[in-house]
Amino acid sequence: MADLLAIEGLSAGYGRAVVLSDVSLRLAEGEALAVLGRNGVGKTTLIDSIVGVTRRISGSILLGGRDIAALPPEQRAALGVGWVPQERNIFRSLSVEENITAVARPGPWSLQRVFDFFPRLKERRHQAGSSLSGGEQQMLAIGRALATNPRLLLLDEPTEGLAPIIVEELLRVLTALFRDEGLTGIIVEQQARKILPITHRALILERGQVVHAGASGELLADAAMLERHLGVTAG
Amino acid sequence: MTNRMGAWRRREILAGLAATAGMLAAPAIVRAAPSGKPVKIGGTLSLTGFLAQTAVIHKIASEIMVEEINVRNGFLGRPVEFVLLDDQSKPDVARSLYEKLITVDKVDLIQGPYATAPILAAMGVAQRYGKVIIQNSMGIPKMQTYERAFPATPFGSEPDKTYPNVILDAMASLPTPPKSMVVLTSKFPSAQFMALGMKEQAEKRGVKVLMYLEYESGNRDFGAIAARIKEANPDFLWVGSLGLESNQVLESLRKLDYAPKNHFHLYPAPGPLALSPDGNNALCSTFLEPAEPFMSRPGVARIAGEFKEKATKANLPYTTIDAQAAGMVSQWQMLEAAVNGSGSLDDEKIAAWLKKNRVTTIYGSLRFDGPFNHGDASQLIKQVQDKEWRVVWPKEFAAPGVALKGA
Amino acid sequence: MPSATLLGQALISGVLAGGMYGLLALGLSLSWGLLRLVNLSHFALAFLAAYLTYELGTNYHVAPWWSAMLIVPAMFAMGLAQHWIFDKFKVNELASLLITFSFAIILEVAIQLYWTADYRRYETHYSTMSFKVGPFYIPVLELILCLVAGVLAWGTWLWLRKTYVGKALRAAAEDADIAAAYGVDHKKLAYLLSGMGAAYAGIAGTFIALIATLAPAQIWTWLGVVFAVVIIGRLGNPLGALFAGMLIGASESIAMAVLSPAWAPVVSFSLLIVILLWDPEWL
Ligand SMILES: Nc1ncnc2c1ncn2[C@@H]1O[C@H](COP(=O)(O)OP(=O)(O)O)[C@@H](O)[C@H]1O
Ligand SMILES: [Mg+2]
Repeated sequence: MADLLAIEGLSAGYGRAVVLSDVSLRLAEGEALAVLGRNGVGKTTLIDSIVGVTRRISGSILLGGRDIAALPPEQRAALGVGWVPQERNIFRSLSVEENITAVARPGPWSLQRVFDFFPRLKERRHQAGSSLSGGEQQMLAIGRALATNPRLLLLDEPTEGLAPIIVEELLRVLTALFRDEGLTGIIVEQQARKILPITHRALILERGQVVHAGASGELLADAAMLERHLGVTAG
Repeated sequence: MTNRMGAWRRREILAGLAATAGMLAAPAIVRAAPSGKPVKIGGTLSLTGFLAQTAVIHKIASEIMVEEINVRNGFLGRPVEFVLLDDQSKPDVARSLYEKLITVDKVDLIQGPYATAPILAAMGVAQRYGKVIIQNSMGIPKMQTYERAFPATPFGSEPDKTYPNVILDAMASLPTPPKSMVVLTSKFPSAQFMALGMKEQAEKRGVKVLMYLEYESGNRDFGAIAARIKEANPDFLWVGSLGLESNQVLESLRKLDYAPKNHFHLYPAPGPLALSPDGNNALCSTFLEPAEPFMSRPGVARIAGEFKEKATKANLPYTTIDAQAAGMVSQWQMLEAAVNGSGSLDDEKIAAWLKKNRVTTIYGSLRFDGPFNHGDASQLIKQVQDKEWRVVWPKEFAAPGVALKGA
Repeated sequence: MPSATLLGQALISGVLAGGMYGLLALGLSLSWGLLRLVNLSHFALAFLAAYLTYELGTNYHVAPWWSAMLIVPAMFAMGLAQHWIFDKFKVNELASLLITFSFAIILEVAIQLYWTADYRRYETHYSTMSFKVGPFYIPVLELILCLVAGVLAWGTWLWLRKTYVGKALRAAAEDADIAAAYGVDHKKLAYLLSGMGAAYAGIAGTFIALIATLAPAQIWTWLGVVFAVVIIGRLGNPLGALFAGMLIGASESIAMAVLSPAWAPVVSFSLLIVILLWDPEWL
C-alpha cells in the first residue's frame, strides 16, 4: 500500500536556529505513529512543519504523493492535514458548536458524529469556547480537527496537563480513533508506556534528529531503549 | 522579509501623505499685466475643510478684483499678484502660512483670511511683522485689537447692541408685532456673542424671551430642539446659525409639522436657505444684495456679472454675488485705495491713510476712525420671498413693491 | 420640567437619528472587529455614494433606490480595490488608520474638485415627510433608514453566526494563523468583508444624500460619534453597533430636550467612558 505521508530530509527552525535536521519518516494509510522524545527535542516543530506554521529550511513533505511543503497552511488543511495543537487553541469567542462548524468540511465526521463521540461537547454545545475546562478543551480540539475530515490527524501531546482520570478517558478516545476507526495519524507523547499500545509504530527524536524508529510493540518491550532516550524507568 | 515590508509600508503611507499635502499646499497664483516687478500680496482662504464652501466665493471675488485692479493702474503702476494658500479651515495652519508668506515668500502686503478663528491667527502674525491686515468677517469687533487691522464690512463697533435693535425695529413695524421669542444659537463665539445681545435687547424692549438655547457647533440632530421650539411656539424665532444649521432646524421643525412664525437667521448659507421649501419669509442681515439700489453703485453691476460668470464656470450651484462675496471685494477696494492714496507699499503709511480717509467700497462709503478701527454700522435686513433674498429693511432700501412680510 | 410629549418626541427623533449612527458604524465595526483594519475612509466612501446619488438624482432624474442598485455594487468593488492595497502591503491596525485617513483626504479633495466645496442638496418631496402617531410625529425617511439599518444589522449578525463564512471570519479574527491551519482562507474572506463594509457605506450614502445637505468637509461630521458607537457596540458586533447607535442618539436627544442642547456631545462621550469602565455583560 502507498504511503500517505512521506517526509524526506526535513530541516526546520526558528530564525537562524535549526531545530529539526534531516528528519525522514513514512506513514502508511491506516497507520498510527507515536513520536516520542524529551522536552525541547523538536516534536512540536515536526508537527508544525507538516501543518505549515514553521519555517522550513529544506526537505520534502509528500501527502498522498503530492509535495505540500511549499503550500500555505489553509491549502494543506484542504488537502487533508488535521491538527490538534499542543496549546489546543480553541476559538474562545466562538461557541463549542461554532468551533466545530466554522472549520468543518464534508465527510464521515459530521457534527452529529463528533457529538456522539464526545457527549460532553454536545451538552455544552452553546457555551463559549472560553468556558471549557482543560479536558473539555482537548476534546473540542480533537473534535474540531475530526470535523475537518482529515486524511492525516496530528495530535501534539494530547494528554499534557490533564488530570489522570481525564487522561484515561482520552486514551480510550485515541484507541477508538486509531484502532477501531483506522485513522491515519501521528501522536506526540511524553508518556511512552501509555501511547505505545495504541500506535503501530514509533520514533524517538533527540536534538532534532530521529534516533530510533520501529514497531511500537518492540519499543514497549525494550526497557533499556526507553530508559536511555526517554528516561522512562521500567515498571 | 518583514523589514522590506515595513519599508514598503512606510513608503506607501509617506507617498499618500505627500501627494495629499502637495495637492493641498500648491499655491494658486492669480496674475495679470501692468508693468514692472509685481506687487505680491499674500493671503490664505479655507479652500478645504469645514469653511470651504465660503472660501470658493471669496477666491472668485479676489480673482475678479485682482484682474480689475490690474486693468486699472495696479498698485502704484505695478501689476498685482495674489499668492493664495489654503489654510484648511485651521487657525494653526493659517498662522504658519502667514508666517511663511511674510518671511519666505516675502510678499509686499497681506490680505486677511475668512472667519474669526483664522483671522485672529493671521492677525497675530501680522502684528508681529507690523503688516496691515484687512478682514471682512470678524463678527466680534472688540477682538480686533491690533491697530493696523481694519474691517472691510460695516459691522460698526458694537453690533451686539446695534444689530438686535435693527431687527426689533423691523419686527415692531409689523401689523402684529411679536410679543414672545425664542433665541437659539450655536456656541460658535461670534454667534453666541450676537445671541446674548439679542436676548438682552429684546428683554429691554419688552419682548418676552421664552427660551434661550445653545447648541454645540457641529450638532447633527435638531429633532429634540425642534420639539422644544414647537412646544414654546414663539412669535419670533431668532437662530444664531452658521451655514446649514438653519436649514436643519427648519427641516426638523417641518418634520413636526410646524413652521415658525417670524424667523431670523444669523449666518446661514444664503443659497440653500433661499431655495429650501422651508425658507419662505426667513430673515437675515445683509449689507448688499444684487438688486437696486445697490447695483447702481459704481462698478457693482460689472462685478456681479463677472461673479456670475466665474461661479458658473466653477460649477457652483449658487451664482449670484451676495454680501459675503462683497466682503472680499471691499477688502481689495480698501487696499487699492490705501496703497494708491498713500502712494506707498509701507504698512505704516497705509494704516495711517486708512485711519484718516474714507473709502468708497461696494458697501458704500466706509470710515475707520472709530473704536477698534470700525466706523458706522449699516445693517440691512433681507427676507426670502419667492425663493429669493430681498432687502426689506430699512424701508428706504427696499426695492419698489417689496415689503417686510410678517406671520 | 419638559412635557411628556416633548420627551416622547425627543426620544423618537433621537432613536431615529441613532439609526444613521448605527448604519455608518456597521461597516466600520465589521472591518475593525474582524479584520483589524480601522477604515477612516468609510465616511468618505459614504459621502462619495451620497454625491453620486445626488448627481444621478438631480442631473439624470434617477430615483435613489435605482441609483443605489448601481452605487452599492460599485462601492463593493471599491472596497475590494482598497483591500487589495491592505493585502499587498500587509497593513496592520495602526497603518490602516494612516492609510485610510489619506484615502479619505484624497476622496474629499476629489469630491471637492468635481462637486466644489459648495453645498449640494438633493431636494425630494419625501425628505421631510412625516406621519402622526398619537401626539408624536414620525419622519418617514428616518424610519425607513432605521428599518434598513435594522435588517442589515440583523442579517449580518445572522450571517456571522449561522454561515460557514461568518463563523470562519470570526475564528480568523480571533486567531488568523490557527484558523488558516484549519483551512480557513482568511485572505479571500477578508476581501469579501472589505467589500461588504464599503457596500454598507454605499447604502448609508444613499440615505445621507436624502437626509443631509452635502459639503465635502461634512465627511468628518460623524467620525467621533460613530467611533463611540462602534466601541460601545463592541467591535465586530453588528447588532451591538445598531443598538449603541440608537442608545447614543436617544441620550443625545433627551439631553437636548431636558438640559441645554449644548450638552449633547458631552452626553455621548460620557456614555462611552461609563460603558468602557463599567463594561456590562449585556452590552
Ligand atoms: N517560536 C520559537 N522560536 C524560537 N525557538 C523555538 C520556538 N519554538 C520552539 N523553539 C525551540 O526549538 C526547540 C524545539 O522545540 P519544540 O519543537 O517545541 O520541542 P518539543 O515539542 O519537543 O518540546 C526548543 O529548543 C525550543 O526552545
Ligand atoms: Mg512540544
